[in-house]
Amino acid sequence: MVFAGIAVTVLGFVISLLSLSMASSVTARLIIVLLGIAVSLFGILGMINSAYLKNAIWRKQS
Amino acid sequence: MKRSILLIAALALVTAGYGQTPAAATPPGPSVAVTTNDVKNVDTPSAADRLKGDPGGALTGTVADVAVGDAKKGLTIADALNQVGQNKVAINFMWTLITGFLVMFMQAGFAVVETGLCRAKNANHTMMMNFMVYGVGMLAYWLIGFSIQMGGVGGVANLGGTPPLNTEYAITLFGKSFGLFGQHGIFLTQGGTYDVGVMVIFLFQMVFMDTALTIVTGSAAERWKYAAFLLSSFVLGAFTYPLFGNWAWGGGWLATLGTNFGLGKGYCDFAGSGVVHSVGGLSALALAIIVGPRIGKYTRQGKPNAIVGHDIVIVLTGCFILAFGWFGFNPGSTLGASGNGNLRIGSIAVNTMLAGMTGSFGAMFYMWMRYGKPDASMSGNGLLAGLVAITAPSGFVNTVGACIIGLIAGVLVCLSVEFVDRILKVDDPVGAISVHGTNGIWGVISVGLFADGKSNYGGSWNGVNGSVTGLFYGDASQLVAQLLGVATLVGVVFTMTFVVNLAIDAVVGQRVGAKAELEGLDLPEMGQLGYPEFELKARTVGA
Repeated sequence: MVFAGIAVTVLGFVISLLSLSMASSVTARLIIVLLGIAVSLFGILGMINSAYLKNAIWRKQS
Repeated sequence: MKRSILLIAALALVTAGYGQTPAAATPPGPSVAVTTNDVKNVDTPSAADRLKGDPGGALTGTVADVAVGDAKKGLTIADALNQVGQNKVAINFMWTLITGFLVMFMQAGFAVVETGLCRAKNANHTMMMNFMVYGVGMLAYWLIGFSIQMGGVGGVANLGGTPPLNTEYAITLFGKSFGLFGQHGIFLTQGGTYDVGVMVIFLFQMVFMDTALTIVTGSAAERWKYAAFLLSSFVLGAFTYPLFGNWAWGGGWLATLGTNFGLGKGYCDFAGSGVVHSVGGLSALALAIIVGPRIGKYTRQGKPNAIVGHDIVIVLTGCFILAFGWFGFNPGSTLGASGNGNLRIGSIAVNTMLAGMTGSFGAMFYMWMRYGKPDASMSGNGLLAGLVAITAPSGFVNTVGACIIGLIAGVLVCLSVEFVDRILKVDDPVGAISVHGTNGIWGVISVGLFADGKSNYGGSWNGVNGSVTGLFYGDASQLVAQLLGVATLVGVVFTMTFVVNLAIDAVVGQRVGAKAELEGLDLPEMGQLGYPEFELKARTVGA
């Protein structure tokens, strides 16, 4: 799950970067870059962090 | 009440109408060619006059002090012009060095803020991390980091050109050159970099890099293994930070988004909301996820417990030290005070102080309204959040923009702390992720919104003619360039830091044992208590 999260985080950056070649209008680029950022944030907060939370120290406390 | 408002309005009108009446403009005089003969005929104070002393300062610093190139020829126009050039560069050297010294002192501010926000049993450990990160970062940056970041920056005109920093490794992508890292400057000798201008820019960039590194120590405080901290900080200072620094400031691909793809003036980050604070804040997030929350921070149901720091007095003192140092951080980022529009340092300094002020107000009033008290530590974090957010736009916005940016940052830091603490369940003892990560990103974005198109640093920025202009002033493409910077920070910088620290975790382990954590890290990790007498007294009274 952690490594999948890393891959999704990088994928978000790649999507943003591709806006430079996929579109020429400012609006289209803006949307694609925002989409890329959202994907990266999902990778970090939704996947990597969630994976760590499953084994968090406070879940094991007696 | 109505009468008071009318009185204030009348005073405002009087002030606006008569208080600042501009003087009549003086017409420019005819241009006159200055020759060597003119220079020779300038009156010089006599030796007899100089022997009497100069209490009024009128005889010191005259034509007699201009260095003569050839004694036989005497003073020439070339000598005078060389002196002018040297004076300009000297002013810029002095400005950059002194502001760099101010930024270096911010290390002390970070140290006491973080230590004050931690518990007394971890004081020595937290201070030592903040103390040694200065040396570890400097070593890494001198060995390789500076070369990667600035080795291909090209000429820095304010500092005399710095011609040896001229080799950037680049690849071709989408038919354009993408600069990735510099190649000159290892040990500050390789590639002709034993150069006075290069030394100045090294010092200034080094203290910036160290600021990013010291942010991370806050989020992982009270449970970070000291050996892991040393390794992690070294890699961040040697590779991760310099790479993004190159892309933004060293002539790399983000800086050339304007020339290559027509996106505004390229990615613009005047003093480092992105390069310094977001890199530090996102690295802090990566570390905090890997090391996990402190014991006792969350209940078994995942409800957060407040773990309060031990000294709010030094926390707020540290905030003042940081606010003072920020006058080096932002105005110093012109890398000069003379020429190329650098007189804007006055505007940059005022923007900096205003955003800090509105940031502290935003946080204080938010906490007061939400929790019934004006929380001291969050007011301090609000000040820092405002300063972090204005760091990128400080050179490009007016005072109204600065106040808005700071105010939003002050509220944003409170919301972000709550989100990180309650929703993400990431334990960040000092709020580093929210202050530097969240508000660093907000600062980067705010350039694309609030840049007013009035700044002019030598007529261009990142090789694109004109002034940096944001969406609210007519250029939406600048916002795209800024967001691409954010995408790089989130997608690449976070990933690099996370993977590196995952590897360190596998090799040496990132987190101390539970026994050491409960006991406090001062003795198990450092071998000495931060407050031995304080501890003794506490034991005596049985507390």
